[in-house]
Amino acid sequence: MDLLDELEKIGVNVSDGVNRLGGNKALYRRLLGNFVKAVRENGISTDFDEENYSDITDKAHAIKGIAGNLSVTPVYEGYTQIVSLLRSGEPKRAKEVLVKITPVLNEIIECIEKNSH
Amino acid sequence: MDKEKTILIVDDMEINRIILAEIFKDNYNIIQACDGNQAIETINGNVDISAVLLDLIMPGTDGLGVLRDMKKSGKIKNIPVFLITAEENEKMLIEGYHLGAVDVIRKPFMSHFLKHRINNIIELYAHRNDLANIVEQQVAKLNKLNQSMIEMLATAVEFRDCESGEHVKRIAGFTKLLMTEVSSRYPEYYMTEEEIDKISKSSVLHDVGKISIPDSILTKPGRLTSDEYEIMKQHTVKGYEFLMQFPDIIDESTYKYSCDICRYHHERWDGKGYPDGLAGDDIPIWAQVVSVADVYDALTAERVYKKPFSHEKAVSMIKNGECGMFNPKLIDAFEALVNESKSGETE
Repeated sequence: MDLLDELEKIGVNVSDGVNRLGGNKALYRRLLGNFVKAVRENGISTDFDEENYSDITDKAHAIKGIAGNLSVTPVYEGYTQIVSLLRSGEPKRAKEVLVKITPVLNEIIECIEKNSH
Repeated sequence: MDKEKTILIVDDMEINRIILAEIFKDNYNIIQACDGNQAIETINGNVDISAVLLDLIMPGTDGLGVLRDMKKSGKIKNIPVFLITAEENEKMLIEGYHLGAVDVIRKPFMSHFLKHRINNIIELYAHRNDLANIVEQQVAKLNKLNQSMIEMLATAVEFRDCESGEHVKRIAGFTKLLMTEVSSRYPEYYMTEEEIDKISKSSVLHDVGKISIPDSILTKPGRLTSDEYEIMKQHTVKGYEFLMQFPDIIDESTYKYSCDICRYHHERWDGKGYPDGLAGDDIPIWAQVVSVADVYDALTAERVYKKPFSHEKAVSMIKNGECGMFNPKLIDAFEALVNESKSGETE
């Protein structure tokens, strides 16, 4: 199965993402590669420090932005909640969402990586 | 649409920059910056930027930092800035708007709307900037015309005095030099370049009151009698009264300088001048400066009643108080100017 079809199946709104790029599927595929790289650089561990998490908030904010722009919808929605909870001083609840969303994010990343080789 | 216009995209995440570049690449040249400092450098560089798409949250200098710099440099008036944000950070957005941002772009981007919104604002700004340039050029043209009329009037008065009109031009030039020197040496007399320029332009009207002095006195080759001298002295007050009738001919601040210079350019530091016998710094500094310029020019120029004095003689006469007392600080600045021009000649 093609990467884009596979991603669509696991919740990524591929057509929306491709439309944002004026229908340029090749560019969308390339940006998915950049997405993986950016997620690795801004990765958040589920056991982050609940006292000092401003750095974590910035990283979550970055992932939220790029996930939204590539229409990686489940990740975008999960990280929207995480950022909002962190900004309102609820790191514990943010962690609960992070625990739920991390496997979804991992699945999407695996899918992209598998298909890019 | 032509591609003469350039958009600067500022975002620390490459993906966001690429997506925005893709959206606008057909209509604009694109420049990208990955942080606030790079953005500031680009905005202050040589490229003419038509719009900035600016991420708010970035490591190091963030979007607000870029806006602050643009506000400081005045660039924010001519370049529309769109804030890019993925969330409702009300405090940051309000500050962004206060600093001059025009609109907010939310992530995920809605390409179609985004294109239209940004195109419209860029066109609006381009139109506004064009209009501002036209107005600026027209104002400059009008000011030049206004100044020419004023100089024409001053020259007409000089012609009655058998002068060629060069006297008023020399006074304006010398006033500018001396006022600049005084302003840079003494903080109490500091004035901006713009104000000094106004003073210099106003100085051409210093003798406009001579229009009211009869020819028999104004062009008399010999020494004036004391009665004639009293009439001659009236040119200061007459000039002032004359200008008071036309407050609209020059802008407000220039008008004040012109009136002061007309009335007080024969006052002296020790209170022995005329018409009001003002002393010290009761005499506005711009009138004091024109006094020195006027005396120097009168001494070094040929008149119907006298031969010109040499530059050296004129300088020593002014320093020695032979033409009345001047502000010692003004004399120091005058001397510095004289020495400067001397060393310029020998180089």
